[in-house]
Amino acid sequence: MATDWQPSFEQLPDFERLFDEHQSMVFSLALRMTGDRGLAEEIAQDVFLELDRNLAKIESAQHAMFWLRRVTMSRATDALRRRRSRGNNLWAELEEAHGALEEERTSPLGDRVERLLATLPEAQRAALVLRYQEDLTPEEIAATLDAPLATVKSNLQRGLKLLRAKAAIHLKEYVRGV
Amino acid sequence: MDGKNREVDHEATDKLAREFERELRAALERRHAPASLKRIVMERRNVRRPTLAFPTRRRQTRMVWLERLAASLVVAAVAGGAVFTHYADERRRGEEAKQQVFTALRITNRALDHVGAQLAEQDNKH
Repeated sequence: MATDWQPSFEQLPDFERLFDEHQSMVFSLALRMTGDRGLAEEIAQDVFLELDRNLAKIESAQHAMFWLRRVTMSRATDALRRRRSRGNNLWAELEEAHGALEEERTSPLGDRVERLLATLPEAQRAALVLRYQEDLTPEEIAATLDAPLATVKSNLQRGLKLLRAKAAIHLKEYVRGV
Repeated sequence: MDGKNREVDHEATDKLAREFERELRAALERRHAPASLKRIVMERRNVRRPTLAFPTRRRQTRMVWLERLAASLVVAAVAGGAVFTHYADERRRGEEAKQQVFTALRITNRALDHVGAQLAEQDNKH
């Protein structure tokens, strides 16, 4: 995480350094929102190129992280909307995306949680990913998604409940207490 | 006794929920980005920067539209010029016809004056 970069208003932050620090965050957010590695990589590329164009507006390390999370979530939502409007078969694509990358998996539970996550409504998925991947508070999630706090809390509760119910059926062998 | 059981159930439910959240957090650790991501981003970044040497697709599209706009303006100017010339020509011919009518009227008027003068002279003689 970027903690030692002090804000400087006189010189631009180092793009490559920001990229190295945040590439896994941006890619993981995009991957968990879209459930598609190829699309996630495209989104990550676009997000970082947009960061490059807006580098002069970045005020601090915290601001860079906030900006990246916000833009990534927004681009992922746009990509999902475009895919819906094209009428692509999300489930077939998910099968393909996950099936093709069997060898890259490091955590079977993580993969299966991601697949279950992809079946949740988009708003609930966004809230859960930011809460449990990024460890954000509901207030920070509301600011990132530009959504009312009450809505975020409701999405967190409902998403968690739905995910637990799905996990109780599909992840019995991994998850205790469901 | 029922109250105590409910409390125990509640505690157990809370514990299970916390356990699930902990496992979810562990399952949702950040993943490594593909190695190709950095290379592609840096390449696209370098391609985008010298925009004059390597026009981007957006720039090319803008140039095509500017060319189309310039062509439209030229066509509009030529058509406008043709229409203007046509009307100016018609106006000039109208003006010439008017002058011819005035000239004819002046000639007629002069002839009538002459005839009138001759008639007056004959009346004086008689």
